[in-house]
Amino acid sequence: MEIFAILLKLVKKGAEADIYLTTWNGKKSILKIRKRKEYRNEILDNRIRTLRTVREATMISEVKQFGISTPLVYFVDSKKFEIYMQFVEGRLVRDLPSNMIIKTCEKIGKMVGTLHNNSIMHGDLTTSNFILLRNKLVILDFGLSQKTERIEDHAIDLRLFKEVLNSAHVEIVNKAWLSFLRGYGKIVGSQRRERVISQVSVIEKRGRYANVV
Amino acid sequence: MLCLGIESTAHTFSCAVIEKKGTNGKILSDVRKIYKPSEGEGIHPREASRHHAENSPQVLSECLEKACVKISDLDMVSYAAGPGLGPCLRIGAVVARSLASYYNIPIYPVNHALGHIELGKMLTGARDPLVLLVSGGHTMILAFLGKKWRVFGETLDITLGQLLDQIGRHAGFASPCGSKIEELASRSSKYEPLPYVVKGNDVSFSGLFSATKRIMPKGLESACFSLQETAFSMMGEAVERALSFTGKKEFLIVGGVAANKRLSEILQSICKRHNCKFFVSPKEYAGDCGSQISWVGLLESSKKAGAKLENTFVRQSWRIDSVEILY
Repeated sequence: MEIFAILLKLVKKGAEADIYLTTWNGKKSILKIRKRKEYRNEILDNRIRTLRTVREATMISEVKQFGISTPLVYFVDSKKFEIYMQFVEGRLVRDLPSNMIIKTCEKIGKMVGTLHNNSIMHGDLTTSNFILLRNKLVILDFGLSQKTERIEDHAIDLRLFKEVLNSAHVEIVNKAWLSFLRGYGKIVGSQRRERVISQVSVIEKRGRYANVV
Repeated sequence: MLCLGIESTAHTFSCAVIEKKGTNGKILSDVRKIYKPSEGEGIHPREASRHHAENSPQVLSECLEKACVKISDLDMVSYAAGPGLGPCLRIGAVVARSLASYYNIPIYPVNHALGHIELGKMLTGARDPLVLLVSGGHTMILAFLGKKWRVFGETLDITLGQLLDQIGRHAGFASPCGSKIEELASRSSKYEPLPYVVKGNDVSFSGLFSATKRIMPKGLESACFSLQETAFSMMGEAVERALSFTGKKEFLIVGGVAANKRLSEILQSICKRHNCKFFVSPKEYAGDCGSQISWVGLLESSKKAGAKLENTFVRQSWRIDSVEILY
């Protein structure tokens, strides 16, 4: 009897999906389910869940060709909004000690630069979407990613990361941000970097009451 | 401590007196006059400020009368110094300055957004909540960290209140139109696809606004329904992300749009899923009012002296995340 029991342990109730620890063909695996949100209109809910499941599964595999480490996708069920993927050991960058976060931000910057160079925006750059294992950085969660070359979209990626540093890592925000930009610039080049940064300030100025007068 | 609070950032001119004993506050009176534009139109800053100027003496005396206090009983006066419409803000500031200088009472310029949050906390008993501030001027998700309210997500263009108001005005109603749209939406359950734009923790409503205008000729009720479902779901997702990122165990919704039942329902179900306590600011104090301003003034007075008269400016653009909280 026990052999047939599938181990299913809830690891994280995320905003967008629930993450379970389970096995796939004997391998330790993560199961990501985008559950029906009762509060959301059903048509809208299904549209969002299908789009994000398919997009995440596609993108997570596609970025590997650019040398970016992501979990392996084992299985996708777009009808049930499920993705089985490789379990990645290591620690979330969010939970690292401050000096490590600052150091890792340069790596994150390089990774984001590589994505942008290949016309991909991640759409959800937070410090909890990166896992550090020894020296290797793995990026997660491509549900909100998009194919785009637009400066504006790339700037949105950077702005979100800055916002996260600003709200969740207040004490190191300046150092971490500089470290990120250093890494980012190394990949996209200083000219492109400056253009994206200036677009970030354009977006910030659009914010309500952001020194308009 | 007795404090007179004066609010005049937008539509509302309001005076309120709160008595603070220890950490408890008691609202003795809260009187408001609200400027109403004609149907299909929005707020005109000059007209609104004229309304405020004309009504200020009456609101002030009514407020003192209801609270059974004389001006000489007041320990301090606070006014909303921003963010808001310049001409409107100036009326409240002039009233506050006049009282402060003539009667020699300490004066406190207060951030309007902070007023929404602090009064909401005081009235609901929330201690350390994630806050959603939704009104005509704000759409922000905030949490308190290291002496400041930090923004976890916000609108990148128009606010939720503006979105509802502008759609309402387009349909020919007078703003604020939130309740009218809510009523129309409740009569339909036909969902028309509309753009759903969540960018990380932020939301953007401008595309949704244009698309809703486009489907309005097909049926106003279904347009309102689809608009609410889409916009509130976006808000819900942004809140859910902030909750799971911050791990806060309390959630508080404040601001004029907090009165919307459908939005509350959505957020309540999210809180349940995240084992989080749900608080909503009481309807009569959700919109702009003097109590908000009075209460923040009282809180600030516990840590700092009043402002010098020459520093009692108004600031149309004054982001809440730039205010250092001392108390």
